[in-house]
Amino acid sequence: MLATLRRILLAASLSTVALASAAQAAVTVEFWHSFDGSSGKALEQIIGKFEAAHPDIKIDAQDIGDYNAIVAKLQAAIPAHRAPDAVIMEVTRYGLFADRGVLKDLTPYLDADPLKGQLFDYAREAGIYKGKNYIIPFNSSTPVLYLNTKLLKEAGIDTVPELKTWDEILKVAQTVTDKLGSQGITGIAAPGQFARWGLVEDNDSELIDPRTNDILLDAPGTIAAYQWMADLVHKYHVASPDGVTNEAQGEAEFTAGKVAMMLNSVGDYGGVRQAVGPDLTVVPMPCNKVCRVPIGGAGIGIVAASDKAKQDAAWTFISYMASADANATWFAATGYMPINKNTAAVPVAADALKTQPALQVSIDQLPFAVGRPRPVVVTWMRAKEYTMWQAMALGQRDVTEAMKDFATQTRAEAAKSN
Amino acid sequence: MCDIAARPPGRAACLLMQSKFIPYLLVLPLIAFLAVFTYVPIGVSLYLSVHTWDFLSPDMPFVGLANYAELLSSYDFWNSLRVTTIFAVVSVPLRLGLALAVASYLSRQTASARILRGALFLPSVTSAVSIGVVFSWFFSTDYGFANALLHAIGLPKIAWMQDPGVSLGVLIAVNTWKQLGYDVVIYVAALQAVPRELYDAAAVDGGRRWHVFRRVTFPLVMPTTYFLLIVSVIDAFQVFTIVDVMTEGGPAGATDVLVNMLYRVGFTLFNIGTGSALAVLLFAFLIVLALLKARVIGQKVHYEA
Amino acid sequence: MKPERPALTILALAGGLLFLLPVLYSIWLSFQTAHAYYSGGLEFTVGNYGNAIGQFHFLRYLLNSLIVSGVVTVAGLSVATAAAFAFARFRFPGGNFLFAATVATLMIPSHITLIPNYLTLAQAGLLDSYAGLILPAVGNGFAAFFLRQYIRGIPRALDEAAYMDGATPLKVLWRVIVPIARPAILSMGLFIFLGEWNSYIWPLVAINNDDLFTLQIGLTRLYKLNAGEGLIDWPLVMAASTISLLPVIAGFALVERHLVRGITAGALK
Repeated sequence: MLATLRRILLAASLSTVALASAAQAAVTVEFWHSFDGSSGKALEQIIGKFEAAHPDIKIDAQDIGDYNAIVAKLQAAIPAHRAPDAVIMEVTRYGLFADRGVLKDLTPYLDADPLKGQLFDYAREAGIYKGKNYIIPFNSSTPVLYLNTKLLKEAGIDTVPELKTWDEILKVAQTVTDKLGSQGITGIAAPGQFARWGLVEDNDSELIDPRTNDILLDAPGTIAAYQWMADLVHKYHVASPDGVTNEAQGEAEFTAGKVAMMLNSVGDYGGVRQAVGPDLTVVPMPCNKVCRVPIGGAGIGIVAASDKAKQDAAWTFISYMASADANATWFAATGYMPINKNTAAVPVAADALKTQPALQVSIDQLPFAVGRPRPVVVTWMRAKEYTMWQAMALGQRDVTEAMKDFATQTRAEAAKSN
Repeated sequence: MCDIAARPPGRAACLLMQSKFIPYLLVLPLIAFLAVFTYVPIGVSLYLSVHTWDFLSPDMPFVGLANYAELLSSYDFWNSLRVTTIFAVVSVPLRLGLALAVASYLSRQTASARILRGALFLPSVTSAVSIGVVFSWFFSTDYGFANALLHAIGLPKIAWMQDPGVSLGVLIAVNTWKQLGYDVVIYVAALQAVPRELYDAAAVDGGRRWHVFRRVTFPLVMPTTYFLLIVSVIDAFQVFTIVDVMTEGGPAGATDVLVNMLYRVGFTLFNIGTGSALAVLLFAFLIVLALLKARVIGQKVHYEA
Repeated sequence: MKPERPALTILALAGGLLFLLPVLYSIWLSFQTAHAYYSGGLEFTVGNYGNAIGQFHFLRYLLNSLIVSGVVTVAGLSVATAAAFAFARFRFPGGNFLFAATVATLMIPSHITLIPNYLTLAQAGLLDSYAGLILPAVGNGFAAFFLRQYIRGIPRALDEAAYMDGATPLKVLWRVIVPIARPAILSMGLFIFLGEWNSYIWPLVAINNDDLFTLQIGLTRLYKLNAGEGLIDWPLVMAASTISLLPVIAGFALVERHLVRGITAGALK
């Protein structure tokens, strides 16, 4: 009886699907992304250009939320067969989906596309999982240090100081908090997850060993990095806990002129510049023990379950999104690094580089920027890291104890999921 | 059943009424829905709880009780259990105590009592999402009503929802505010059912108000108290919506109640096996409570408001 | 109702308003401009409602909530009434067992069905559809139990008179039982409607498509999306919240009596 019922329901739903798709002549590619605000507008503009050049392809672009939201939505969508055709995936979190066969292997597409020779090596590498291309880079970034020079001046710091070590950063943060704390201004935003990973590398350690995939969450350098970050909030009170519970809130407070320093992705530069104006200065990440920054950002993948026509259309779209033309518009509007070797030659990008020297900061970090490992467990680890970080930063758990526990759990999860 | 069988039209009706399939047809839709969406899922949850799965893998390896072991040895589970227990232990007496006190004043049949009962009752039937959003504003650090009040009397701001030491208290307060009217209505009904003569007799005995309350009212509403006790404990162990809207279980897990953990483990970490194991544990616990409740009122009534 | 001093009535009214202050103030807030709110001024507008409806589709969400809650109520009541009639009036093999199985569902917390129901509806391709929101909520053990108790209180002689006139069981149900049980059915219907109107965790996991959001999901989404971009537009959020509160508040005076009856009948019988 139940089987019959299910079959009837299934038939009914299938027939509506069939009707809906028959009504559309052009191929529509459902595309999930994570850009709102000024980057959302830039994306819209690029997609508009693409659609004008390809009248037979419609891009149904949907802003799903942040990278976490995309991962969660995509994972929930798989058993439900409601995944999109193309999807933006963050560079450390697509391994799970590549491994489970959710993402299509794009190697054949890329091999046949002149794009292959145009991509910077660092960018192309970010899309490779176990030797195959699963995502094509769209937006690449490194973390940088954003400064509000107006607040620094108000705190008596007239020239941008040397900010190479954590001690130097802490000192500036303390000065600002001491001088301006009564006005509700704090020295530094609590670092977001990308910056946290960056600071771990800055301390010559890793979360996961890029070669062996060993879990290094309880390595001394990692623990020390988390200890320092948690201390910013809990011990020195130079970072507001608001940014701990809500990462976006930390950034919002910087853009609102209530925080003097922020470690964040260069990809947010466009939006931050609009909000902060001429008081904004961007400097490289510190080099506490070593100079090393993680490469972040995302690329676009194609869902394996989509039908061939949609996959082909999606590839046309992806290839365009990584082209010099699209990439130049994107780079100039956001601050994400160029991924295409020809981008810098496009006028809009060349102009941007001239007028916004800050864009160069991130590019200058490339020689010591490293690709991060992307085994299956990273997706889980990054989802879990938020609660662990909150517990440490708000003083609910001892950092060493929490990181050891986190490492143990992640190893268990890795054993289960691989 | 069919005592009109002697008369011809009645006999036909009786035959029809007793024909085997009519009652089955009548109950079939209900039973089918309950089977598909309630009973089968319990079995599925049990099955999933001894397997490991992430929604993506084609295979689903059997892991025995490993998910349960993992849960019982994890910081998060015990933290969640602790948070939920605190929620229950604080909010249940608070709800019942306030409700009984309020109800004993509002059980009269007067306009003012009716108005107040209505006002108290309203939040219990409105959506927890709206209530959560309204109180998120009310308790927001920079532009909220609560801190504006503190400011007005010269006190410093409190980070109501960002301070791990305060946020659970805020949720308990909001939940109490929302559910109080439900408890009051039930107490009022119980109090109105107490025969007038008992009060009169107690009053004749020269009993003062408190005396009458302690000797007459309190014992008489004891069964109601017991009923509400169990209902509110069950509520407390299932609280989710206001938590998800107001704090998402944070800060730092300070409000990570069990159903929030279940949602997190299931739909953000996608540890389907562990999530199902948690669902089964919570289920077992709540079944015990529900059976207790069923015994208390002699018949099995349960309604989730 | 007993007469009392008007001063007492007014005092009670004031007390009630004070208790509801957070909600009332949020409604007041929804008519202010965001600019005025943040600068401490006072400037009235209905623009927030226009915005909630125009830019953020709250009219659509309202419609979705009405459709889903309405269908769940009608379907749930039909299914429950039919079963309640059978349980109250027929003795049939397995009947007691089925009734026990129905009553037992009152004890089963809904969270244990969350993941399995997600998978079932995923397999049937019914996530992101009205059916996906409605189907899991139709079988309502409490409604069946409650109505069965009520129907048992209706004198059997009435059924028998109808049977003598040649009525079929369905006719008896429709012509005799339903009219008499109407108050109980109405109370139950209100409960089902409100429960569904306010339901949260199931639509949260079952619906991905913006067009199918219920008010509760739309409201959370609006509030949380806003939270990420600097200052929250509280007046806009409150306008959306008011839209989701309004039907309940507006209908409250009319139905309070029924609601109270339903609750107390469940608790004290």
